[in-house]
Amino acid sequence: MALTPEGARAARDPAAGSGNETAGPDGPRPAAGPEATADAGWLRVHPGSPFVRGWVALAAMLFFFGRDTFERLLQGGPVFDDRLAGRAPWLLVGGGTVLLLTVLGYVLSWYFTRYQLAEGYVRVNTGFLFKQQRQARLDRVQAIDVVQPFLARIFGLAELRFEVADAGESAVHLAYLRADEARQLRARILAQASGAVGVAPAPGQPEAAAAEAPEQTVLTVPPSRLLGSLLLSEQSVAIVAGGIASVLLSAVTENRNFTVFLIPAAIGLAAAYWSSFNKGYNFTAAVSPDGIRLRYGLLDTRAQTVPPGRIQALKVSQPPLWRILGWYRIQVNVAGYGVAGNARQGEARTTLLPVGSLTDVLNLLALVIPDPGTPDPAAVFTAGITGLAGADGTPGAAAPGAGDPADADGGFVTTPRRARVLAPLGWRRNGFTATETALLLRSGRWWRSLVVVPHQRTQSMALQQGPLARRFRVADLVLHTTAGPVAPRLIQAGLDEARDLLDAQSARARAARKRQRSEHWSEPAASPAPSPADHTQEGPNHG
Amino acid sequence: MRTEAIDPPGIDWLRVSPKYVTVRLAGWALGNLVAVALLSLPLVLVLAGVWTWPPVWLGVAVPALWLLLALWRLALIPRQVRSIGYAEREDDLLIRRGIFYQRTLVVPYGRMQYVDIAVGPVERPLGLCTLKLHTASPGTNAEIPGLPASEGARLREQLSARGEARLAGL
Repeated sequence: MALTPEGARAARDPAAGSGNETAGPDGPRPAAGPEATADAGWLRVHPGSPFVRGWVALAAMLFFFGRDTFERLLQGGPVFDDRLAGRAPWLLVGGGTVLLLTVLGYVLSWYFTRYQLAEGYVRVNTGFLFKQQRQARLDRVQAIDVVQPFLARIFGLAELRFEVADAGESAVHLAYLRADEARQLRARILAQASGAVGVAPAPGQPEAAAAEAPEQTVLTVPPSRLLGSLLLSEQSVAIVAGGIASVLLSAVTENRNFTVFLIPAAIGLAAAYWSSFNKGYNFTAAVSPDGIRLRYGLLDTRAQTVPPGRIQALKVSQPPLWRILGWYRIQVNVAGYGVAGNARQGEARTTLLPVGSLTDVLNLLALVIPDPGTPDPAAVFTAGITGLAGADGTPGAAAPGAGDPADADGGFVTTPRRARVLAPLGWRRNGFTATETALLLRSGRWWRSLVVVPHQRTQSMALQQGPLARRFRVADLVLHTTAGPVAPRLIQAGLDEARDLLDAQSARARAARKRQRSEHWSEPAASPAPSPADHTQEGPNHG
Repeated sequence: MRTEAIDPPGIDWLRVSPKYVTVRLAGWALGNLVAVALLSLPLVLVLAGVWTWPPVWLGVAVPALWLLLALWRLALIPRQVRSIGYAEREDDLLIRRGIFYQRTLVVPYGRMQYVDIAVGPVERPLGLCTLKLHTASPGTNAEIPGLPASEGARLREQLSARGEARLAGL
């Protein structure tokens, strides 16, 4: 065992000696300034991380065992099964062995995990039986998250996730670093990715100098509002309906067994609410030259950074009950986040605003779409979120901006009156308008939503029509974007309008793509471009 | 043939090979044979006296209904194949399909991530292939089935070249 790692490291890393010194037993010290050359600067994650990860495993074991016991207690059983109690020592020994092996595995995986940030790439080597070497281009970054699970937070550790556009797992995933170190690394990655720092620094140049970009808090969600939004969510409506139904059912059938099932259901629901509250607590959105920063979490905290221009599509929506208090939520598609395997976590990550007033929504939209391409963005967005076409027909259809009703409705072209049978409630809402930089699609009378797709982010488009829609000469236009919670679809637009939009939108997307070709969002003053892409500073989304 | 197409006017559609009907027929035959066989199983069991529940008329009606629907869909296949079309424009590729449920898809060349060509066991002897474009969006279902192999190869090269020339980021 002693020989294999030495040999392996030598084979993997020609400068094993120097790498060893920088990543000594004390853990990585970026402040000490390892030279950022190709083969030096290999660092290890924090030596405490295997134990933290082991504790997480233990906590998971305890959680499953504890929940089992708890449920048994509720059903009137003893704390320990009689059969179980006799075998307790064996179980303890077995559990201890499993835990020890887990931690040993984590220690080995820690020993063989090393990362490097150099020459515009981040590289990670992992594995001791099956080795993996991974490198990702910094300017391909779609988002960076700094995650602190509760346990890691106690020890002042944090996990760094680097997302590229493959909609799967994180490209680079470093667990755990010291919290300040993780932030430092994030700042360095963002600085290099933005092009603000030379992408290939001269040897010897201290890289740790990259300061965190200054940020400015835009909005926070107070806990009371979060609580209110949870109580008024669709989930609550379903629960109340379910509760009433089960009470009625038990009254009718005179069967009291329903209550037995209600207790575990209530526990599950409490857990779900707690998890939502835990995730959404203290939500803060801030803006910095490196993009939007989102922070949230009560016990587990997460700080997301989405660089400018990485948002592929955005949806403002409002469940029916939220209308009482005028609240909205914003969800986004970001290429790296995808529809993550862990659904609840994915949901939190793709939420730009869990709950906020119309003013908050407009403030955030102004940040995310810095150039709305219209003289009066507030009016257009408000029309998209709350607007309704006149009852007599489609005001914007004939000539947008010509008549008074068109101005009142932000230029939205809605479903023609002839097709109102298809959507008796929504036909005055379902509509689109295009600004110079984005396409806005709105829909829903009760479940209001507004989808915004920047022109340069459109992947492909499809015009669809079923037999019923053909009778009314309407068609749907579907915009394809990267995987995420937002699925832009224009519902039941007039056939001629939809056809025109298909052509116009292709042209607009083409023009927008030509304008913006660089992946860097802030350009270096005099640094040669590393990629063949032209670095013109025309794009509206560049800081 | 078409009542009112939803695609923009003034486009010269290239049609796929009529031989693709054979491929669709093979798929149709395989799928429906299995389905009808499975649906007839209760009838056989009832007649053999193993089962008692489904009455004979129901046992006959279900597979018969299925068969009727299948025959209707069979009659549609040639028209469906004729409705598949694609057009190369200067900056994007258009793909249309469908009679009852029409769809016209626009894929800008600059958005293509990669191009696939697949050949199935029925397509191979007929000299056909299926071309598929992938963008960064999982929703893009850009497939052109039933292309002659030479046309498929030409299209692939053409698309790759054009994609490279107009390459854009995400």
